Amino acid sequence: MLETVELSKSFKGKTVVDGVSLYLDQGESVGLLGPNGAGKSTTISMISSLLAPTHGDVLLRGKSVIKHPQDIRRVLGVVPQEIALYEELSAYENLQFFGRIYKLKKTALESKIQEVLEIVGLRERQKELIKTFSGGMKRRINIAAALLHNPQIVIMDEPTVGIDPQSRNHILDTVRYLNLEKGTTVLYTSHYMEEVEQLCKRMYIMDHGKVIASGTKEELGRILSSEDTILLQLDAYDDAFIEEIRSLDPVRQVERTDQGLKLIIAKQSRVLSSIVQSAERHSVQLINMHVHTPSLEDVFLHLTGRTLRD
Amino acid sequence: MVPVFLAQWMKEKRSPYMVLIFISISIAAALLFGSNMDIKLKIDTFRGEGVTVEEAERWIDRLNESGAFIFSLRAEEESLADVRQGRSDMAVRLLKDDYRIIAVMESTNVELVQQHMQAVYHEEFRIMAAASHAEDELEFREAMKTYMEQPPLKLQSSTSSGSELRSYDMRLQLLFGFSLFLAMLTVGFRVNAMTAEKISGIWNRVILSPLTKTEMYLGHLTYSTLIGIVQITMVFLLAKYLFGFSLGHSFGMLAMIVVLYTMTIVAMSMLFTGILRTPEQFGAIFTSIVPIMPLISGAYMPPGTITNDVLLFIGQFLPLQHALDALIGVSIYEQGWTDIYLPLAKLLLMAVIFFGVGINLVERRRL
Repeated sequence: MLETVELSKSFKGKTVVDGVSLYLDQGESVGLLGPNGAGKSTTISMISSLLAPTHGDVLLRGKSVIKHPQDIRRVLGVVPQEIALYEELSAYENLQFFGRIYKLKKTALESKIQEVLEIVGLRERQKELIKTFSGGMKRRINIAAALLHNPQIVIMDEPTVGIDPQSRNHILDTVRYLNLEKGTTVLYTSHYMEEVEQLCKRMYIMDHGKVIASGTKEELGRILSSEDTILLQLDAYDDAFIEEIRSLDPVRQVERTDQGLKLIIAKQSRVLSSIVQSAERHSVQLINMHVHTPSLEDVFLHLTGRTLRD
Repeated sequence: MVPVFLAQWMKEKRSPYMVLIFISISIAAALLFGSNMDIKLKIDTFRGEGVTVEEAERWIDRLNESGAFIFSLRAEEESLADVRQGRSDMAVRLLKDDYRIIAVMESTNVELVQQHMQAVYHEEFRIMAAASHAEDELEFREAMKTYMEQPPLKLQSSTSSGSELRSYDMRLQLLFGFSLFLAMLTVGFRVNAMTAEKISGIWNRVILSPLTKTEMYLGHLTYSTLIGIVQITMVFLLAKYLFGFSLGHSFGMLAMIVVLYTMTIVAMSMLFTGILRTPEQFGAIFTSIVPIMPLISGAYMPPGTITNDVLLFIGQFLPLQHALDALIGVSIYEQGWTDIYLPLAKLLLMAVIFFGVGINLVERRRL
């Protein structure tokens, strides 16, 4: 349905997006993952026809979006990362405005406003001003505004950044509803791996403007099929300890976490006793140790050498 | 265009205070500062050596017959103490057949008092000289007074259209000056809403809709123009019907000037929006520059006060100066279209240039 071909964008000689090719089939929910500055928002801007690419093309059902931007604008709903709403107006008035710019007639507009308010769970609060809403409620109205014209494709640019868990769950439910119940094609960008794992069947991982991996959860998981992950919970440790752990033969990667270290090691290697001995030598108290199969977060770490939230 | 216009209107309805406050300030400032223009300057006088109280009072009566000053007799010490301590600009010592003005520094007021006193003394000495040849001095003075009331020659002035020439109304100029100035602020902040919408992402959302860019600009700019026109018109109507200002009889022409001026300041605000990158920059720089414009345009001063060539040159590039010229021409001097076409043409030219450059700059900038 929607495809990007070798999409690139440079600003003042600096390449922000570099040869990105991806596709979305009708009714599919696809994740676009990457840390801040990976080029996700620029890619979205080019897909939605807001930004002209330096190189490459975006095709909607085989037709160039660059040459015919109106085609994609008719079927596309974009939920921007920022709260693109009038703070001084009520939720209802904002939706009324966004419905009017899509030239919805009075009766259709009224029923559509009530429908999208119902979807985002804010029908009871529609008369309240946006500036009185919490961050999560604003984000929900931000989504509602993109749904008024029944878009076939919805692009969501990090819609859950900085909000409370209740609103986050509501937004995730909304995305599921749109994709599963209404058959809307969704491109969901986030740097929260667990959200993309929950919502999307396929995903693209971006870093430094490039797609570095893509596929289903299972396909991506197989990248680390020959590895295990060990989480070490430590009370205190120094660089010398990390270096010694890193020098252990089966250890492929070491990453600091909030509570200690995360190690990616060769599968079924006998390294635990060496870790314990190293901890004793460096007087590091080992509080807990957990071995598990690598997650997509670990895949990202393996591919980029950094975590999604870096 | 209509949805963008309506959204701006809904925001205004939610918070109409700025427009209402600016309307109130326009009228209040015109009334306050305009009334000060009618107040006469008080000048203390005291008797010099050999001058009797009667002689001093006679001179004071003569000096108070005309002019923009009220002379009063006081004790020398008090008058001089007030000058020394800066409570008054000057004091006048009355001498036998002469006077001295005592001031700590030269000022326009001192010059005006000097001119007035010189004229009165000069006239009085001529009358005294003529009276000295008369048999009865009192009778001569009476005859002269009667003669001056019905002089053999009368000079009558009229406007170019033949109607009665009215004296210059400074209050009206101030009303125009303040209302045009404050409209610039109202309009500027409305146009600045476009930059705010670009930063908040609303602008991009609208671009992705079937609405065209032309419609988006038209929605914003039409609203800004209309709110400016409404603000100025309300000030004029309140001034005329509530506070008795005389705005002349050509309301159609006044309306035309207001419409053209508002379009020009919308265009000027667009230019500022194009040059400045953020709404905050606009708020800081626009509000710093705009208050200087009425000063350079001479909106707060009697005509002809500004003589500096540089200021006069800069004033040519300010919409306010041309709108003020046209409004004063129509309302005070009852000028017609042929008299005010030049300031109107300049406003129109500015509007076209400012719009062209402003929109171009806004479109080139990537936020």
